[in-house]
Amino acid sequence: MSNSTGLALIGRINNNANALGLLFMLPAATILLVFLTYPLGLGMWLGLTDTKIGRPGEFVGLENYKSLFSDSVFWLSVFNTMVYTGVASIAKFGLGLWLALLLNQNIRFKSFMRAILLLPWIVPTTLSAIAFWWIYDSQFSIISWMLIKLGLIDSYINFLGDAWNARWSVIAANIWRGIPFVAISLLAGLQTISPSLYEAATIDGATRWQLFRHVTYPLLTPIIAIVMTFSVLFTFTDFQLIYVITRGGPVNATHLMATLSFQRAIPGGQLAEGAAIAMAMVPFLLAAILISFFGLQRRKWQQGVKD
Amino acid sequence: MTTEDPYKPAQPNANDHAEGGMDYLVTRKRKLVTVYLPLGVFSFVLLFPFYWMTITTFKGKEDLYDYDRNSPFWVSNPTLANVKKLLFDTAYPEWLWNTMLVAVSATFISLFASVLAAYAIERLRFKGSKWVGLCIYFAYLVPPSILFIPLATMVFKLQLFDTRWALILTYPTFLIPFCTWLLMGYFRSIPFELEECALIDGATRLEILLKIVLPLAVPGLISAGIFAFTLSWNEFIYALTFVSSSEVKTVPVGVITELVEGDVYHWGSLMAGALFGSIPVAILYSFFVEYYVSGMTGAVKE
Repeated sequence: MSNSTGLALIGRINNNANALGLLFMLPAATILLVFLTYPLGLGMWLGLTDTKIGRPGEFVGLENYKSLFSDSVFWLSVFNTMVYTGVASIAKFGLGLWLALLLNQNIRFKSFMRAILLLPWIVPTTLSAIAFWWIYDSQFSIISWMLIKLGLIDSYINFLGDAWNARWSVIAANIWRGIPFVAISLLAGLQTISPSLYEAATIDGATRWQLFRHVTYPLLTPIIAIVMTFSVLFTFTDFQLIYVITRGGPVNATHLMATLSFQRAIPGGQLAEGAAIAMAMVPFLLAAILISFFGLQRRKWQQGVKD
Repeated sequence: MTTEDPYKPAQPNANDHAEGGMDYLVTRKRKLVTVYLPLGVFSFVLLFPFYWMTITTFKGKEDLYDYDRNSPFWVSNPTLANVKKLLFDTAYPEWLWNTMLVAVSATFISLFASVLAAYAIERLRFKGSKWVGLCIYFAYLVPPSILFIPLATMVFKLQLFDTRWALILTYPTFLIPFCTWLLMGYFRSIPFELEECALIDGATRLEILLKIVLPLAVPGLISAGIFAFTLSWNEFIYALTFVSSSEVKTVPVGVITELVEGDVYHWGSLMAGALFGSIPVAILYSFFVEYYVSGMTGAVKE
């Protein structure tokens, strides 16, 4: 490989790679250490104190976690986060994969379609969430109006006033926002699969389902692993949609861990408690990151990349 | 695959995926039902909120609330009152300017730091560069929703609270990992031989980076740049937490916190605020669609 000989040569010519590397890393490392690594540690520390806004706290051990353990609102937010992440991720995966398969066919205006369908992901979530808020209005909801005109329901749906209605509504908004990302990423994966594999399988008499199950799916697995890790991660820590559409209401029914953490820490002033809630998300995130890491390794292994 | 018909014998030529190859064997009717119909439904659902946002912006009071006399899907009496209210009675133009300023500054800081870092990790191969690369990837996975509380206390201590600097300095925490990761992929695709030639000709590392690597990585720079700009433009939780006066708010925060007054929602101007906050990124996007797609898929694939 020219890579390794090239590396060796460059290494010989430039003895100062380490010093130069350090210098080049300096701006990025400084910003990340000061504004990312340090706050991460500070957050853990804050979770172990009784800090409030305007009052420096003292170390109280696991006191915050103990009180959270017996806090029904906290457990409700954990439950909501699980439902929200689980349902939305599965739906995003299913619908996103379907859309990717549709876009991968020989259709007209393909790139135009792809460009247009990515819009929900490009536009600021906060702003599209406002549109959903209006669509879910209790008196002037366009969805209710259409369903009434079609004769499917008799009265306007109370989208955001009922616990489960509100949950489904925010989940629907999240799915809407997430489908394009999943679809376009998987489409990129689909386009790397050689058509000759399909031709060979077709000649061997494979059905459409067999083509998908035994050609498309195995070759797509690594990229699915990565895309879904990202999707799960960002759904799990979602804040904007909930904050705009329901603010956690009605009666905490849609609070996610992130929104509850904000609610307690900033308007509530209980910085330490908020930090403890945020830190309670870390184990879940670590699990997702580990899965993503092994997904990456497997993809490298599949492609035969050696470092 | 919901389109599968279990009672039909297997159609050996109904190839779902081949790019054109065996596509001619799929009947037109079948394609209409299995491809164009679902695509149509997807497009309708994914685009409807934008259509709704746009027409609500230009609706007057009677259009907005009376669905029986005026069809809700169309504007019978278009009016610019909502837009006028937004632009002249609120601080919206200021928010737009702030968002632009913060997004552009954060993007430039991040690009500068990321180019150097990506080049060092990918090409200088200093001791431990592999681990640093991995750390950058993990840094990208740290979500703002677990960082905003400790960052808020830091911003307060550094006396940056309620300034644009609070946002300009904290946005790079999610922009740098993303851009570095993306640029590492682009740098990897530039042949080593070019650098070797330049080294033999006596160029320094900095010269190589500026005169050889960067010009070749322009598509990567554009991808990283527009992505960083979009991510900063869309950022919400930091801006909501670190800023409280109207003069320094960004568009997403301003619209949410100031256009919503009490229990009476001015849907017209709210939608106008959402529409005009979306248009800049939509325009940028329309010019650079391919870069967005390659940036997004590149970051996932690498």
